[in-house]
Amino acid sequence: MSNPRFTLDAVEWAAWIPTVEAATATPRQLAALEASPQRDSPYFLTLAHDVDSLEQRSPLFHAVMYAPRGLPRADRELATVVVSIINGCVYCSSVHARRFSELTKRPEIIQRLYDEGLDTKLEPRHRAIVDFAAKLTRTPQAVTPTDLKPLRAVGMDDLQIHDLIHAVAMFANANRLMQTLGEPIAPG
Amino acid sequence: MAGTDIVNGAAGLSPLSPVVALRGQRAAFVRHTQGSYDALIIPADPAGVSLIERAAVALRVASIERDVALLAHYRARLAALGADRAMVSAAEGEGGATDVPPRLVAILDHVAVVTTAPGSASQARLDALRDAGLAPRDIVTIAQVVAFVSYQVRVVAGLRALAQETHA
Repeated sequence: MSNPRFTLDAVEWAAWIPTVEAATATPRQLAALEASPQRDSPYFLTLAHDVDSLEQRSPLFHAVMYAPRGLPRADRELATVVVSIINGCVYCSSVHARRFSELTKRPEIIQRLYDEGLDTKLEPRHRAIVDFAAKLTRTPQAVTPTDLKPLRAVGMDDLQIHDLIHAVAMFANANRLMQTLGEPIAPG
Repeated sequence: MAGTDIVNGAAGLSPLSPVVALRGQRAAFVRHTQGSYDALIIPADPAGVSLIERAAVALRVASIERDVALLAHYRARLAALGADRAMVSAAEGEGGATDVPPRLVAILDHVAVVTTAPGSASQARLDALRDAGLAPRDIVTIAQVVAFVSYQVRVVAGLRALAQETHA
């Protein structure tokens, strides 16, 4: 499942439909964009078409990725990269691969996942996260308490597992928006 | 607009479940998950995508993801909005629904593709939706409903496993 398209380099994204123009955006759209990670990106300018949903999604995304305590941020980033690899989201995986690498200084872990696939040899905590993220992504209905045992074995408490579930679920969401409203492009 | 928490209901969590208390430690997750549902499924102003179309899209995703509880939820929602049997069948992916408006057929076809294989979306698919009369905003709304239910299915599945483990 090696896929050379996945990268640790920065990638850009282009919309397949006209985006909201900052100059003609409504005050609500501007406020929702302000609360988004990158208000000037074509991605958020696309989502701003439906301001009602963006007003909820941006704070949800922020909480799931950055809420204090619970699952360490690097673990959340790793989970989102795994989901993005499975769904084939080159843009999402690039962004969150770099976040993981910044937090851990270990880009080689992501590179191995890219080059050798999700079965590559990993330390036990990363293995447990990758396996759970993959199963909840591919076959959510097949997830049972048995799938939580490897997470417990590496010391995860209820809140950490709760956060992991949400990080995985958030990227079922993010990948589908990114992949169905536009496409990744090489930096220009 | 405040009401029952849809995730708790679909995951089968009683108000006294330890998992409900656990969710209480992450109030922003709970608030904006339900807030996303409210904004996408039961908006006061549905604008260019009708409530029936929104419920049909959600049912299509829940059906493909095979979440029994969410499937029942969105089927009931669609029926409560007055959708006929043909429309409910189409939203559940059963063929032969000839009485469904072409616009909804185009939407559901798109939804099935991007739910099953998000990487198979294309500019041509969105152009086809625009040809079926959808504005850019409508296309974003549909993408948000698909993305939200895809998220909701996995939150519910994960929390369900956590609740079963807690009670084991």
